[in-house]
Amino acid sequence: MADPTILPATTARRRSAFEGLAVVGRHGVAEGSPGLTVREMTGLALASVVARQGQADNVRNLVAEATGIDLPVSPRRIEGAAGTAGDGLSFVFSGPGQWLAVAEASAVGRFAAAAGLDPAMAGGAALEISLRAMLAGAAAVAGQGDGRGVLRLSGPSARDVLAKGTAIDLHPLSFAPGDAAITWCAHVDVTLWQRDADPTYDVVVPRGFAGTFWHWLEESAAEYGIAVVTPG
Amino acid sequence: MATPSHSRRLPQGGLVDRTRPVAFTFDGQRLVGLAGDTLASALVANGVTLVGRSFKYHRPRGILSAGAEEPNALVELRAGARREPNTRATAAELYDGLVAASQNRWPSLRFDVLAVNQLLAPFLSAGFYYKTFMWPASFWEKVYEPLIRRAAGLGRAAEAHDPDRYEKATLHCDVLVIGSGPAGLMAALAAGRSGARVVLAEDDFILGGRLNAEDAAIDGRPAAEWAAAAAAELAAMPEVTVLARTTVFGAYDHGAYGAVERLADHLPTPPEHGARQRMWRIVAKRTVLASGAIERPLVFGDNDRPGVMLAGAARTYVNRFAALPGHRAVVVANNDDAARTVAALSAAGVHVQALVDCRTDVSPALRAAADAAGARLVTGAVPLRAHGRMCVQALEVEEPGGRHATFDCDLVAMSGGWTPAVHLTSHLGGRPVWDERALAFLPGSLPPGMAVVGAAAGAFSLDECLTTGAYAGIEAATAAGFAPPAVEVPRAERESTAVAPLWRSPRAGGKAFVDFQNDVTTDDIELSHREAFRSVEHLKRYTTLGMATDQGKTSNVNAMALMAELKGEPISAVGTTTFRPPYTPVAIGALAGHHRGKAFRPTRLTAAHEWAREAGAEFIETGVWLRAGWFPKPGEDWLAACTREVKATRGGVGICDVSTLGKIDIQGPDAARFLDRVYSNTMSTLLVGKARYGLMLREDGFVFDDGTTARLGEQHYLMTTTTAKAGEVMAHLEFCLQWLWPDLDVQAVSVTEQWTQFAVAGPQSRALLQRVLDPGQDISNDAFPYLACGPVSLMGGVQGRLFRLSFSGELAYEIGVPAGFGDALPRALMAAGADLGVTPYGLEAMSVMRIEKGHVAGAELNGQTTAADLGLGKMVSQKKDCIGRVMATRPALVDPDRETLVGFKVVEPGVRASAGAHFLDIGAEPTLENDLGHVTAACFSPHENGWIGLGLMKRGPERIGQRVRAWDGVRKRDVVVELRHPVFFDPQGERLRG
Repeated sequence: MADPTILPATTARRRSAFEGLAVVGRHGVAEGSPGLTVREMTGLALASVVARQGQADNVRNLVAEATGIDLPVSPRRIEGAAGTAGDGLSFVFSGPGQWLAVAEASAVGRFAAAAGLDPAMAGGAALEISLRAMLAGAAAVAGQGDGRGVLRLSGPSARDVLAKGTAIDLHPLSFAPGDAAITWCAHVDVTLWQRDADPTYDVVVPRGFAGTFWHWLEESAAEYGIAVVTPG
Repeated sequence: MATPSHSRRLPQGGLVDRTRPVAFTFDGQRLVGLAGDTLASALVANGVTLVGRSFKYHRPRGILSAGAEEPNALVELRAGARREPNTRATAAELYDGLVAASQNRWPSLRFDVLAVNQLLAPFLSAGFYYKTFMWPASFWEKVYEPLIRRAAGLGRAAEAHDPDRYEKATLHCDVLVIGSGPAGLMAALAAGRSGARVVLAEDDFILGGRLNAEDAAIDGRPAAEWAAAAAAELAAMPEVTVLARTTVFGAYDHGAYGAVERLADHLPTPPEHGARQRMWRIVAKRTVLASGAIERPLVFGDNDRPGVMLAGAARTYVNRFAALPGHRAVVVANNDDAARTVAALSAAGVHVQALVDCRTDVSPALRAAADAAGARLVTGAVPLRAHGRMCVQALEVEEPGGRHATFDCDLVAMSGGWTPAVHLTSHLGGRPVWDERALAFLPGSLPPGMAVVGAAAGAFSLDECLTTGAYAGIEAATAAGFAPPAVEVPRAERESTAVAPLWRSPRAGGKAFVDFQNDVTTDDIELSHREAFRSVEHLKRYTTLGMATDQGKTSNVNAMALMAELKGEPISAVGTTTFRPPYTPVAIGALAGHHRGKAFRPTRLTAAHEWAREAGAEFIETGVWLRAGWFPKPGEDWLAACTREVKATRGGVGICDVSTLGKIDIQGPDAARFLDRVYSNTMSTLLVGKARYGLMLREDGFVFDDGTTARLGEQHYLMTTTTAKAGEVMAHLEFCLQWLWPDLDVQAVSVTEQWTQFAVAGPQSRALLQRVLDPGQDISNDAFPYLACGPVSLMGGVQGRLFRLSFSGELAYEIGVPAGFGDALPRALMAAGADLGVTPYGLEAMSVMRIEKGHVAGAELNGQTTAADLGLGKMVSQKKDCIGRVMATRPALVDPDRETLVGFKVVEPGVRASAGAHFLDIGAEPTLENDLGHVTAACFSPHENGWIGLGLMKRGPERIGQRVRAWDGVRKRDVVVELRHPVFFDPQGERLRG
């Protein structure tokens, strides 16, 4: 029998914010194609980046040099180009001199390799380390990915569903792919941005409120039919 | 009264579908209407004229109107949990299986015992409640009010939980058009054709407003047909949203409007997954108000008898619903609309006995209409009294010269002119203005971005409605940034809308009702005047005129005019009451939307919640958080579980989720300086890799919050706050940085959600932790002493943070991991410590241990205590300045008589004390003068084997060792306690340094 005091590494399983809530399958109205498709984005790493005093332009230069990403100065999200050092990395404006860095799994893998960390166990730390190195002395970096759940919402009824929770005008003339907002949805602080014209939105929800948010989402989208797809 | 039957439906015409019969019941009687009916029109078609009893006198009442203004025909719709009182039959769309019941009658509608109130009328005048039920005052709430409510009431609310779902949503648009009559349709078309985002909201279930109710022509075709074509054109415009069955009930700031869409009120039950109603918050750049006008009743004797109906409503029933409200009618009016009423009734086969007009000089058109219908035209005449009880049987009028004439009839179609529905124009403070020509209050100053068109603006004729609507639509779209194409306004007749004042019959017999819903008569208004309640606002409160569900839609103007007459002033000088939202009653469910029951407010769960649930935790609500309170084993109550958890922790090792504490990441070159200013004690001297307890004061010198702050790097701190104050502290820090000291280079962000933190406490805590840390990390007392902190790797590569902190007074740590591993951490600790007896403990055990240790918490940090009160006076550094330092030296805050932290133990073993109890000297009466302070926290202490606690007491520390009482008048406890030093457990702190 194995020594009970030696803990196998596999015990530390990462639990996503919407685990047990976003159950894969069809929900709500069962007929017809689903009005809303939901996917929990479990492989993302997030970090807040706050420029030190008077350093916002410097931060923008440093990020541009390192990743080719031109940091947004209005509520937008800018992503790095494929095949560049910014591939899989994006920045969401969250206030003057403040951004939310979002690394998709591919970028997390690169950062973890550079930091010598296991991306599955310390992907968030790897993003923090990379950003700190990139922005040394120019910005404060703090990991946020574990404190957030991210849902990718798409489909013909996505706008109608979000209109039941947020006061933001998501009409194509007002809010287009690339636009982002920090707002309130169903009594919960959220950050959201539009990815494409389908439309597809990513909604970032504080982990502690995932259940509250999900309850609202499921009830509000039920009339359109919901397809929850495998997270990743 | 006619026997209810289907006999009053015309064989053709109207907007009802004769191929789709709809079965319903009224007071248990099975009836059949048609698709397209309202409940009211179906009742009319079935010959039902008596539909309710009045509010105060229980007088028989019928249907007065055909719209939202209905004061009489209020019914209980549906049954059981869906029962909906005070539903206007005129606004309820008929559906198959509808169940309606009349209200405010017992035992039946035809025989109502409380109709005896009519005989008591002399005593039930205005102000009756206030005059009669004055003494004793204590009787009001328990005796008088329930009695009055039972006798004089409206319907009964459902007692069961509403089974339906409601929701709220936001809708943005360039142009909001309210109302879809001729003016609204034209405005929506004109604006919609520009490509602007237009929302057209219509209360009714079909568009068109009065176009569906009048025999009029637009561009040479029937008006209803033109309305249907306009609706079709709007439906085809991609940027136009048409919301039928939607009432815009309120105008709010910044172009926001409240509206309720009745998604499923016309269905027996909402579809599965569908909401019953949706409340829209419509945000519009521009608004066109085309809400139309409401017809006024004429005020004469017994004008409330069933069968006395507004003339416009009679036309609606005949033209739109092909339903006859009577067979023999008298039309009585003060305006030229009467011509249309006579024509419509006559065309439908109603025998119009007479057209009674108060004017001596009437238009040729009116004369012609009367002639064509074979009706006797009586000019210069006033109505005196309606005869009949359950239904009108005759109308008695006074002709010029004083001669009386009586006309047999079963329908009196009356019109006192039209009142523009200006309600929404005054929701933001606009005062309607009296217009002597239109005899109406017209919109005064408007909410920003609003234009008013058509009848709502006093432009009553059809061609004016179309024209003003078209122009307003173009203007609104242009103002919103669009270039609308030119609009050709359709051709329509300009009808005469001449009107002469007739505010009341000068010699009415019987009761002449002004406000039908509240049973307010001309006598009540005269009484109000005599008793000097003459301002319109006083008149309203004194007589209840204009209150309840209809808010005086049909009565306000007549009442104002009467008061003006009594005061001898023009109506413009009397003014009108102000309108407030909602325009019509709104279900509370719609206002709450999704947020009811447990969803009323958010619930916040820690990342370890699922583990705690599996471990059998009972949860406690703390703010929006759910925290594990205790982990009972079979047969244990909370106290037994809590006591076991304390003993296991103090005797071995326990783990506790402390993730709810606020965590703020503070970085920057000036971080140390910043912390010295916000904390009363010094943080800049803290070494990297160390943590320190900190106390924060408010600007006014009282204690704000406490917590530990760890220095993770030269310019990097992690502050923790109490659970309750996490948000407030974050806001405070942001205020300080942005406003007080913008020169400081400091970045503060909340990381509360990012980190799961567990307290690992007890003599075996180090041994347990060592097992989950990845190999090669030394946490021995030398390497990692009390108050050390630093990064660790655990559970196979998770990057965590370890802090040697103790709230329990034991050798203890707090271990932080990214919240994704917040579920894995307690599982790993429990698995690794099974042989050590590791025990999860909850909030209750944590509280016991903190009381034993004399640590202050929320109950002591209550906003009224100073640092010195809490025995923390030395925490306020005198070597530097901080927020609150100066104000904390005010005389009242340093008064030696202030209540100060003290411990106590109940003298008699096993006897409980409770938080909230007051300290009194033994033998002293429990009075405010004798009050010495209060118990802030109490618990059963396993360490002391008895009930102990903390409290705030005048000169408490000076009295340690003495005995006083802890008197709890609420829980009826009165126990003798011995005052103690607040630190009961390990006062030297040897254990936590071990």
